Amino acid sequence: MAMLRDRNIQSSEIASPRWSSWRRQQFAGWLFLTPAIAYLLFAFALPIVYNVMLSFERTSPATIAHFTAPFAGLDNYRFVLHDPTSRMAIIHTFEFTAGSLLGQFLIGFTLALLFSLRFPGRTIFRSLVIVPWLLPLIVTGVMFRFLFQAEGGAVNQVLMNVGLTQHPIQWLNDPHLAFWTILVANIWLGVPFFTLLLYSALQDVPVEIKEAAVIDGAGPWQRLRLIIVPIILPVIEVTLLLGFVFTVKVFDLVIGLTGGGPANATQLITTWSYNLSFQVFSFGEGAALNNVLLVLALVCAPLYLFLSRDALRRSSGADR
Amino acid sequence: MTRLQRSRALRWLSTLAAAAALVIILFPVYAIIVGSFESTETLFSGTFYWLPHAATLDNYRTVLQGGSASTEATVAGSQSGHVLTSLIVGLGTVALALAIAVPAAYALSKYRLRVTLVVVSSLLVAQIVPSIVLATSLFIVFHWIHLLNSYPALIIADGTYAIPFAILVLRAFFFSLPNELMYAARVDGASEWQTFRLIVIPLARSAVITVAIFAFLAGWGDFIFALTILNGSGIEPITLGIYSYLGNFSTDWGAVMASGAVAMVPAGLMLVVAQRYIATGLTAGSVKG
Repeated sequence: MAMLRDRNIQSSEIASPRWSSWRRQQFAGWLFLTPAIAYLLFAFALPIVYNVMLSFERTSPATIAHFTAPFAGLDNYRFVLHDPTSRMAIIHTFEFTAGSLLGQFLIGFTLALLFSLRFPGRTIFRSLVIVPWLLPLIVTGVMFRFLFQAEGGAVNQVLMNVGLTQHPIQWLNDPHLAFWTILVANIWLGVPFFTLLLYSALQDVPVEIKEAAVIDGAGPWQRLRLIIVPIILPVIEVTLLLGFVFTVKVFDLVIGLTGGGPANATQLITTWSYNLSFQVFSFGEGAALNNVLLVLALVCAPLYLFLSRDALRRSSGADR
Repeated sequence: MTRLQRSRALRWLSTLAAAAALVIILFPVYAIIVGSFESTETLFSGTFYWLPHAATLDNYRTVLQGGSASTEATVAGSQSGHVLTSLIVGLGTVALALAIAVPAAYALSKYRLRVTLVVVSSLLVAQIVPSIVLATSLFIVFHWIHLLNSYPALIIADGTYAIPFAILVLRAFFFSLPNELMYAARVDGASEWQTFRLIVIPLARSAVITVAIFAFLAGWGDFIFALTILNGSGIEPITLGIYSYLGNFSTDWGAVMASGAVAMVPAGLMLVVAQRYIATGLTAGSVKG
């Protein structure tokens, strides 16, 4: 019946569908969207809300079966702020994130500039640079554990062959050095992402502008600082933002590389929260620490929404 | 030097610099592959060999046939079981992500719905939420509904990597399809479902492949949800296998290397056969983890 009715619509009416057709489309649209909404509610909204609940509860292994536990007030948050390891983990997360972003950006941008030059073999180099980003993170972790071993690790072997050190360096057993190893591994991991995004931004800089700058006598450094960087700044912002979001979540890499040790020197919020929840079964304390992480990550949500405003604006149907 | 000579020298210098960078970037991958062929004696000799030294397939035998000299814990599930498990999880994540994301992206791009702005904003924010936050709660929720240690639980959890990303990428793609296509199908009497099924999906093939590849790699490479939601025996994907070979006190390096090498296979394969899609997906702003 509906089909028969629609056949009678005149072509002028198609652009502005009739009420019944509009309702039918609304219904279909909602049906298409319902599974996604259900999924978002179950897999994101419920865990986040439940995590907040947990953080105010006095949990024990026995309370897990009941879904709720006695109210604990702010005790879990008090614990997190006074527990030395939790505080260290929060500080480490900041240092780890800042260090990673700095390293990833500098190396990624350098490689992006390099790949923008015309030289033999650049296509294949560019495609191989992605490799680190595609590997399972736990594999990256154990890979670097292997390379940074004191005895028989490639890094020490190179340093000793070159003569920079006489004795193997205890990369993974020295608390201070272990932190540098997780930083190096994470920079290695993130460089491809920065390289690729910044590279594609560099491709979009109009050739005429670059040529005009050359004619006006701008040197390479001036062109980079005054012409190229301002033009690709929006992409730089998005890349740094995504890099930040990604880095505060890092977990597998550290578990595979150091397991948070030695002496908790490489515990980040994620790994320490895992430890609290799943090793000592203090889900309430783990949840409180999770919320610290969540707040940290969500601080950049408004910025992310702002930078994605083009995608959001389309939802108003303005393009129709 | 003439201008031409200078630019030629610069080109070769660039190639050299790029090659050097690539050697550093790919060296860890090379080391794990070489290491996977080394004997246990070589790996514990305290010397790093740049080339395979007395190559052997023993490590692969160990991980593919199960069992290990130093880790009794892995006897329950052999590594070939691990590969199969990871394949099921990866493909399950693809199926779930496509089933949810393709229709949702279509609805969010081609229908005027009141909730569009809210849902798209939620998807962007969902990409930011750290997995450990979800894992802790999902563990208890799945415990509560008796779904711990099951494929569906793990696949639903792994969907959190893939689904928001998939919807956003597909939605951006659907905007590029002209609305006239849908109008024409409706005029011809196609139902909304037929339009979607017969017109839209076939045209979206390349975007769907991109999304499927990333969903597969997310499910295959997931560690955090496997570690938390599969807290018992039975199902154990390859990422957990690697972790158990690491051991608490002694590491079976041969087995770690070989299972690590096996775990890298899908990424390598995708890079060879689906390079185009991977580049698209990455620049579409992928967020892992």
